[in-house]
Amino acid sequence: MDAATLATLLDPVAISRAETLGMHARYLVEGYMAGEHKSPYHGFAIEFAQHREYAPGDDLRYLDWKVLGRTDRYYIKQFEQETNYVAHILLDGSESMKYGSGQWTKFAYGKMLAACLSYLILHQRDAVALDIFDTETRDYVPRSNSHAMIHKVLATLAAFEPARQTNIAAILHDMARQIRRRGIVIIISDLFDEEEKIFEGIQHLRFGGSEVVVFHLMDPAELEFKFNGLVEFVGLEAIPNILTRPQEIRASYQAEVERFRSTLRSGCEKNHVHFVPVNTAQPLHEVLSGYLAYRLKTSVK
Amino acid sequence: MSFLNPFMLFGAGAIAVPIIIHLLNRRRFQRVVWAAMRFVKVSTEKNQRRMLVEDMILLALRCLMLALLALAVSRPALRTSTHDVFGQSKVTAVIVLDNSASMGVSDGVQTRFDKARKVAEQAVDALPSGSAAAVILASDVAKEVIKEPTHDLNLARKTVREAALSDRATDLFPSIEKALETLKGRSAIRKEIYLITDGQLAGWRQLGDIQKTLKAAKEQTGEHQVSAHLVFVSDTEERNLGVSGLVLSSGLAPLNRPLRFEAQVANYGKQETKDTRVTLLVDGTSADEVVIPSIPPGGTRSVPLNTRLKTEGWHNITVRIPTDRFPGDDTRTLAVRAIREIRVLMVDGEPGSEPREAETFFLGHAFVPVAAEEAQQYYIKTSTITPAELGGTRFDDFDTVVLANVPDFTADSAMALENFVKRGGGLLIFPGAKINAPFYNQQLANTRKLLPATYGEPRGDAAQDEKFLTLQTKGYDHPIVALWNDNAAGTLASARFFRTFDLNLLAAPNADGVEKNEKTNTKKASTPTNTVANLAAPKAILRFSDGSVAMAERALGLGRVVMFASSADTAWNDLAVRPAFVPLLHRTLGTLIQRHDDGANVRVGAQFARRLTADLLHKDAVVMAPGAAAGTRDMRRVELVNNTPVLIYEATDKAGIYEISIAEPATVLKFAAQPDPSESSLAELPGEEVSALGQVAAVQRWNPTLNLREWVEKARVGAEYWLPILILVLALAALETFLAQYFSRSK
Repeated sequence: MDAATLATLLDPVAISRAETLGMHARYLVEGYMAGEHKSPYHGFAIEFAQHREYAPGDDLRYLDWKVLGRTDRYYIKQFEQETNYVAHILLDGSESMKYGSGQWTKFAYGKMLAACLSYLILHQRDAVALDIFDTETRDYVPRSNSHAMIHKVLATLAAFEPARQTNIAAILHDMARQIRRRGIVIIISDLFDEEEKIFEGIQHLRFGGSEVVVFHLMDPAELEFKFNGLVEFVGLEAIPNILTRPQEIRASYQAEVERFRSTLRSGCEKNHVHFVPVNTAQPLHEVLSGYLAYRLKTSVK
Repeated sequence: MSFLNPFMLFGAGAIAVPIIIHLLNRRRFQRVVWAAMRFVKVSTEKNQRRMLVEDMILLALRCLMLALLALAVSRPALRTSTHDVFGQSKVTAVIVLDNSASMGVSDGVQTRFDKARKVAEQAVDALPSGSAAAVILASDVAKEVIKEPTHDLNLARKTVREAALSDRATDLFPSIEKALETLKGRSAIRKEIYLITDGQLAGWRQLGDIQKTLKAAKEQTGEHQVSAHLVFVSDTEERNLGVSGLVLSSGLAPLNRPLRFEAQVANYGKQETKDTRVTLLVDGTSADEVVIPSIPPGGTRSVPLNTRLKTEGWHNITVRIPTDRFPGDDTRTLAVRAIREIRVLMVDGEPGSEPREAETFFLGHAFVPVAAEEAQQYYIKTSTITPAELGGTRFDDFDTVVLANVPDFTADSAMALENFVKRGGGLLIFPGAKINAPFYNQQLANTRKLLPATYGEPRGDAAQDEKFLTLQTKGYDHPIVALWNDNAAGTLASARFFRTFDLNLLAAPNADGVEKNEKTNTKKASTPTNTVANLAAPKAILRFSDGSVAMAERALGLGRVVMFASSADTAWNDLAVRPAFVPLLHRTLGTLIQRHDDGANVRVGAQFARRLTADLLHKDAVVMAPGAAAGTRDMRRVELVNNTPVLIYEATDKAGIYEISIAEPATVLKFAAQPDPSESSLAELPGEEVSALGQVAAVQRWNPTLNLREWVEKARVGAEYWLPILILVLALAALETFLAQYFSRSK
């Protein structure tokens, strides 16, 4: 993989800004090695958490002798264990993601977002797994926390070309079944699928204990629908072509889009899922750093 | 409904244009590869029906707009006559152009006639191609300049452009009749009459007939229908002063004697005129001048003008007033022949033994009222003969023959007398105790139609002086006695009549004797003519106080006969010793002599006829009309009419002096044509009458912006509807623009 592809996928600005914010897990995740994330398992002395008074039966290994020497009281030291998590990045590689009215198609934007997130997570020595899907998984990079992993991720992203329809719900259910340990599932998609099915998949993931983050990508043209004259819309997925005068249905179209997005938002909120609406006209660093800052804020206990 | 530009209806095919554009536009679209199809699909499905309806509405509006536009430019009209799909049908038209004198009224820039000619030209221009037009110049007669409708519209245009104004009076009915007659036999779908006139009231005296005729023509169907267009070119003129009359009041025009002319100046305007200068011109040289201080509106002033004629022969006597906007009536001209002498033959039925006892004693002295030594120089020369000498007398050596108490005479003499009168001689008849009244009544009155009246029973007793009749004291209508309307001139009423004959006026002769062609001319137009065969009605000159006729006259041929009811001497009356006798006799003689030259002063348009000597028979005469361009002269030939060489000239359209010259033997004649004073009246046809005319014809008043073509075409087919349709198209265009905007707003 050449440097140009790297530069395309890894937005230096986005990474430099996001690095300081870090990708923190919002929920306690089970790590397989000590990392920056809290583990639900206390007592495994990694980092001091708090004192508590000794009670009979406590392991004397954790008695704080220094406190006993100074104050003559019996306190037991408690520790938080920081664990490493696995982030599953699910990138929608369906045909609808090929659309882009400006500099980037939605898929290109999604690839950059996936690349940057992967880099950040790997940089924190957490593990990343990448799954590019449409109706089923089309390309998969198994989890790894190796720094060399980033190359593989980037190569996979660069090589992929969308060609088929979407079936997000099925992928989410598959993913829920595959994930053994609780981690973070990051979905990057335009979610052009049935909302109810998507929610069912997300619920399945959440049931498994995973944190789910949804990056909902929309092209500015899809949001604004600023076409004039007579236009034939050629569907990227199964819907047949439509000939119409877009300016006359713009308001109706926008209302429909808005209804779709608000349904997604409320569905995600109901399942305690971060829903990040992304306009692909926005610079990636803004989206990324904006979300990470928000996440950091909501993560602080 | 029909269309003035029917070809434009093909434009209705343009309704295909929006449909084609619509269909073409459906092929011209932008293709966008799109991901968010589900939203487009939902929105389209939601709006599909509405958009289709809106599309249909706009398409229908656009199609309707184009269809209406095509309809508007095809100029739909509610046609009143025959339909035709390929343009206007050909028209056969008669242009009736009023060229009467009143059309000469100017507005300061152009005359009514100038305007009328332009309008007539426009009327010709407005005829659809392939049409035919005839042209009639209307005055008191219909002059067919182009008799048969010609397809050469350039000729019609040229004729109209070069039409000349006449000084004739106006009577439009003959021209309208003539126009209808012209159109009658023509096979044409559409027939039209264009009458262009100034609407002078005098021209419409047969308005009822005109309306009836036009109505009948309009109500005909198919080919017989004729539609009339009237264009009034007058503009209101409030001032007009005209010379309405000019007569030689002294009756005779003897050489080097004072002549008195009476000129009448009438104010036809609505304002009083002051200090009107009236000038008398003899052969173009000013001879006398009078200033009339004031003439009220509608008033007439009569002024005397005096002069002497220095040379024998014909003179132009012209009266002139300052020129106004109607110059046609500002001058009036008489042709007057100065005479050296008048020869009177007196036939004395009772010569008596003494000159004083002669029947003609008083007559002779009255004709020559000067001392015996001056009688030779006096212009009236008298000769006296007895009835027995009648047979051997050549009447043509005399101007007037006087029969005084002549019992009767031979049939030859009667015939000679009749011919003498017909050729222009004067005959004066006095009764007396010796006359054979049945001879006069049968031979002269009934058979020869020579007398104005028959003699009835004699009344009164000459032997007494108690019971007598006197003459009327007022109401002198006849020119001979009009003088005594002025009390300063003395009185006729002082004369006493002890014995008189009843004069039973004969009825006016019917027109049987009138030449055939003349009969048709005079039937309705009543043109004053002066032909050889013309017989004028007998009329009373003077009446007694009880109303019975004292003096009667009739014209016969070129001559005139005057008949008295009482004797020429003092046997039955004392008139001969009254002061009024001399002027009465002289004025009577003047009328008789003037009658000889009566034809010298004709009404404009009347035929001029002059008896000439036998040596001029079949000679060519050159007639120079007044105001004629140099080099344009008419030629006439002296023809034999009723065994008399007569020169007839009928083209007396212009007022003024006509000079006739015959080369060999060298002869110069003159006559004057005088305009009808009724033309001076500027009274116009009242508005309500014009409205009434509107029922039978399309009536339009001229104005500088008059678009005759448009009006005529409209009248030709009725009302046009292009304007309301165009307004509807504009309204639809506005609606379409609004709806297009409204429909295309984001929904």
